[in-house]
Formats: sequence, structure tokens, C-alpha cells
Amino acid sequence: MGVCDREPLMARQLYQRFPVRQYFDNLDDLLSRARPDVVHITTPPQSHFRLAKACLEAGCHVYVEKPFTLCEHDARELLAFADARGLKVTAGHDDQFRHSARRMRELIQSGFLGGAPVHMESYFCYEMGRAAYGSALFSDKNYWVRKLPGGLLHNIISHGIARIAEYLTADTPDVIALGFTSPFLRSIGETELIDELRVIISEEQGPTAYFTFSSQMHPSLHQFRAYGSKNGLVLDQDQETLIKLRGQRYVSYVEKVVPPVSLAKQDISNAITNVRRFLKRDFHMKSGMKYLIESFYESTIRDTPVPIPYREIILTAHIMDRIFSQMRKSPEFNGVPCLAAETT
Amino acid sequence: MKTREADSWIVRPDDLILVTGATGFIGRRVVKALLELGFRNLRCLTRLACSAKGFEEVLRAHAGSARVEVVTGNLLSVDDCAVAAKSAALVFHLAAGRGEKSFPDAFANSVVTTRNLLDACVAERTMRRFVNMSSFAVYKNSGNPKWRLLDESAPIEDHPELRGNAYCFAKTEQDKLVMEYGRRFAIPYVIIRPGWVYGPGNPGIHGRVGIGTFGVFLHLGGGNTLPLTYVDNCAEAVVLAGVTRGVDDEVFNVVDDNLPSSRRFLRLYKRSVRRFHSIYVPHALSYYLCCLWGWYSKWSRGQLPPVYNRKAWRVSWKRTRYSNAKLKSRVGWQPSVPTSEGLRLYFESCRIGGSNT
Repeated sequence: MGVCDREPLMARQLYQRFPVRQYFDNLDDLLSRARPDVVHITTPPQSHFRLAKACLEAGCHVYVEKPFTLCEHDARELLAFADARGLKVTAGHDDQFRHSARRMRELIQSGFLGGAPVHMESYFCYEMGRAAYGSALFSDKNYWVRKLPGGLLHNIISHGIARIAEYLTADTPDVIALGFTSPFLRSIGETELIDELRVIISEEQGPTAYFTFSSQMHPSLHQFRAYGSKNGLVLDQDQETLIKLRGQRYVSYVEKVVPPVSLAKQDISNAITNVRRFLKRDFHMKSGMKYLIESFYESTIRDTPVPIPYREIILTAHIMDRIFSQMRKSPEFNGVPCLAAETT
Repeated sequence: MKTREADSWIVRPDDLILVTGATGFIGRRVVKALLELGFRNLRCLTRLACSAKGFEEVLRAHAGSARVEVVTGNLLSVDDCAVAAKSAALVFHLAAGRGEKSFPDAFANSVVTTRNLLDACVAERTMRRFVNMSSFAVYKNSGNPKWRLLDESAPIEDHPELRGNAYCFAKTEQDKLVMEYGRRFAIPYVIIRPGWVYGPGNPGIHGRVGIGTFGVFLHLGGGNTLPLTYVDNCAEAVVLAGVTRGVDDEVFNVVDDNLPSSRRFLRLYKRSVRRFHSIYVPHALSYYLCCLWGWYSKWSRGQLPPVYNRKAWRVSWKRTRYSNAKLKSRVGWQPSVPTSEGLRLYFESCRIGGSNT
């Protein structure tokens, strides 16, 4: 295993902290001397496309952290480039592979909802007060996050959007977005960042979805809700729980008693499952990333399908492009447009 | 501040002095102490465009008698470092990334920034001393030559990456870098290692007393002496160690006199600030709990972060004595705020909400 950072000290600190054999301060050296099978690209998103393409050219499979690229155009080009070379690529949408997310996928595939989702709600919030990120963002007007096509939103929302994209059927769903700067950010003199976003996504014949990003609402939710023609499911990423919502109603007052008891039972069951997983050493905070990486490696070794279909990666990028193109009309928005997206 | 004669200083009053992190908790007191000593040409580097309230007051108080240039910049930028270091005769490098949990963040904002600044100073060739702000966090507190006494001769952490503490890792590497530049480029330096710097503007109870992570406050310090230094005393120590002749390439620990025990501190805190329940965890028990946590973290491949372990226990909760003898004898420092008065001011500020003054 080798690590690379343009800043040699940063590469060295990784080498010191982890069982890494070599460290490099430029990609060419990494590719030619370490000769990796897979490269993980965890740089700021502005460099994802260029670095991923260089790795693919060197014959490496590539795991690209979220957001995958700056725009849909780049995502399409990168995936086509990989396909043409018989190489595999995945996006770092690891939240979709947490225990509860995998269980939810299984239930939906087994028909628990009564078919495909009719409607979905995805909440992906972020507390701006969190020390490192917030202070870096507020104190540095040249911070790389500010220069993304979607600004702050671009760096955060792809996890929540990808969850919806997984169950959409159309390639170009309608997207209506409302973004604004929260009163809190305004109160500290920060008027260039949009930190509140509400989105409606719809398809003519398929499901609809709401997406919410907020830096101010509490609890700061990371939830995904899917409602089908029969039942519903609620995934809470923070609590690592999955709750089944029964579609059929009980008669009269029974509806007021039995469902709450059933919910309580599910909560206890979720807690027991979590404790059991913890004791079995299978409950890491980044369990989704571990699973995604293992699945991706397996797909490269056995030449099986990649864990995240390319269509889903492209659709996520498409929805984000649509959101940011609407944000760009706002006078507050300071994201830098992706040139590829602007010219296509 | 009791000071020696100005001819024992390495800089003249009109020489340019750079202070990084100048609006920070310690930084603004360092600026104040420098101005009070009669230095009239300061450059203050700050990351935020808007400066802190206490800092502005200091500048206002000395508006007519000194030239204080406030420069906004980021030490991660080589260009900003070049601007900051231009013509500086003395550098007080106080800016640091606290990066409580993130190793890369702490490292980038402590080590990479320090390297950038040192490179700028090397290129500038005007610098007479680089004062590096370090911390007690770099000591391993094991195998001390004077057993329970932690002074400047105590060994620093040889494997800071195993401590599970991003700040310790970054600060240890920062110190090593400064010493390496000292050797390679003959840059005179002084390293300052304060204990727990307390005072108005830094509310909260230090981990050396105990932790409230698990819902109830676990008092782990017991009868241990706390290595406190009141922020004004610390700032004066930094300044004196920075300007005094004949202390190049030395390390100075900073602690005040008449240090309280953890138990006494907690009792005073509860009496003066707010009442809460705490549970005392005896040393032997806290040691084995830390060992157990460390073992589990390793066994579970990081299911729990390795923040508590044998190394961390030694640094935070092992019974230790501290010395400020070197600081007193070599630079003539004396704590101007007695510990009793410092604690009173600190508790008062905690009671009214830790106002940032």
C-alpha cells in the first residue's frame, strides 16, 4: 500500500500512522513505483476527474470520494473512459452500505413496500458549529469548498441525493430546488454560503421525493424514508435503526394502541441488534465504507458488478447539477460553475 | 512583569516582531506583554478578518506609542507566510490547529504551517529567534530522569501516533520540525511548553481533572497536582523566553507556583461556578480501564477510537510533579498573577459564561 499527497509532510504523516510501505508527493511516482491495483481518490472534488482519469490511464481501478465529480458531464466521461478500458470505478457513497441501509435495500427488493417506492424523503443535515469544518469554512474565503459549483452544498448533499437516485427510474427527473442562507449564517456576517436547501424531485410515471438539507434544524437528521403502496420504511443513519411502518390500519381505538407498541418493540429490537453487532466487532462508525470498499475490491478481483451502478452515480450528479443550476439564479450563491456542465 | 535590563534582549524596541495567532487566547496577551515591555513594531498575523474583542482593546491602548500591523492570512499559504515573515527579527509562532479529533487537520495546521513559516524565515535571513509554542502534550511522562518530576529533561513521546491524540501527534512533530530546522539552517529557536493554560476565555474543565463524556463527570485526577499556568503568566513567560539573550535552542516548561491538586480544583470549581455530581475513579482503576479501552480498540480494529490507553493515562492522570525552575533562573520569569487570584478570575468568567475577554 502506498499513499500520496502533493504536500510531502501530509503524505509522511499517513505513512507514520498507518502500515503503509511507501509515500509519494506526486501521482506519477505513486502509479509507476507502487503500481497499485486500486487507487482511492480523497482529494478535494475539483481534482477528482483529472486524478481519476490519470489512474485509469495507468490501468488502476478507482474509488472516488464523494462528490464523484464536479458535474454530470465529467461523471459520464469518466465512467465511459473506465468502461472502455475494462476498469472499474465507484463513488464514495458509503452511507448506502451501512447495516441499516443494506437491510432496507433487502426489504425493498423483497417487496415489503408493495413494489417500487411511491414517495421518498431524504434528510441530510449538517451542524455548522462542528469545530474543524465550520471554522475552516468561515475563516477562509478561499477555502476549496466555497469554490465548488454547488458551494457548501456540493460537498455534503451527495449522500442524501444518492439514496433517492437509487430508486428513481427516469434518467432526467424534474427537480425543483429552493436554497437560502440561514438566519444564523447571516447573523455572523456570512452571506455568500447557502446552507439551507429544500428539493422536490419527480418523475412522470415514477416515484416522487423530497430532499432536505439544513444546517440549523435539530435534530440534525440523517434519515431516509421510503413509502410504497403497502408499507413504509424509515432508516435513521445516526441511530443505525430501521423501522417498518405498517400500511394497513387497525380498527377504531386499536390503531391508537397496537402500532405504538409495535414501534416500541422495533426500537428495542434495533437496540439489541446494534449491541450484538458491537460485541461482534461489526459496528464501526464507518461500517458502510468498509463494506463498500470490500465489495468494490471483490468486484475488481472477480469481475462482478460494481456495488454502485454507474447509472446511479450519473443520476446523482444530474440531480445535483439541476439543483445548483437553480441556485445560480440566487444572488447569494457564490459557487463556481463547472465549465464542462456550462458548455453542454 | 519583572524584567531584566533591555540590553539583555536579543531585539531592540523598534525591531519587527511577528506574532502568529495574535488574536487567540494566548496570542493577544503576548501582544499586550510585548507592547508593555516597550516593543514598538509588531506584526500580528491572524486568520480571521474580524479580530477578537480583547485584541482590539490592546491595540487601542497602545495606538499612539507603537506600530502594530495586523495582517490577515493563512499559514498554509506560502505566499501569506512570506508576507508575514518579511523583515521580522523575532517570531512568536502561537498559531496552531487544535484539530481535536482529526489528525490531518491538526497536522496540517500545526506542522505544515510551521514548515511554511520556517521556510519563509530562512529565506528572509533577518530572524534572530523563532519562538515555538508547544505543549505538555508532547511529553511521554514515562522514564523521566527525575522520576515523578516532569521538567525540561523529560523525554518526549517517541511514538505520538500511538497515543490516539491528534493534538499530541501534531505538536510532537511540530517540535521535531523546529529542532530540525534549527540544526539544518542554524535558526535559533526557543520552545515553550506550557501546562494547562487557563483563564477567562477558555472555559471548561481540563481532561486532567476528569471527563464528562459518559454522562456523569468522572473525576480522574484525584490528588494529582495540576500543571496550571494562568494565561497572563504564560504570555509573559513566552515573551521573556523569546526576547532574553542566551537561551537559544532551549526548551522551557511553563507552570505557575502553588499549584492546586485536581481534587481541590474540582471542589473550588463546584463551589464557585456550578454544582454537579462527580464520581471519583481511583488511579489504579482508571489505569486498568484505560488499558482495557486501548486493548479493546485494538482488538476491535478501531470500533472504539484509541483515545484512552496506557500512554494517554500516563500523560493525563499519572501522579506527577512539575517544575518552573529553569524558566525562573534563565529568563527571570515570575508569575505575576498568583494561582489563587488566577483561579478566582477564571471561575468568575466561567460563572458568567466564559466570556471571551
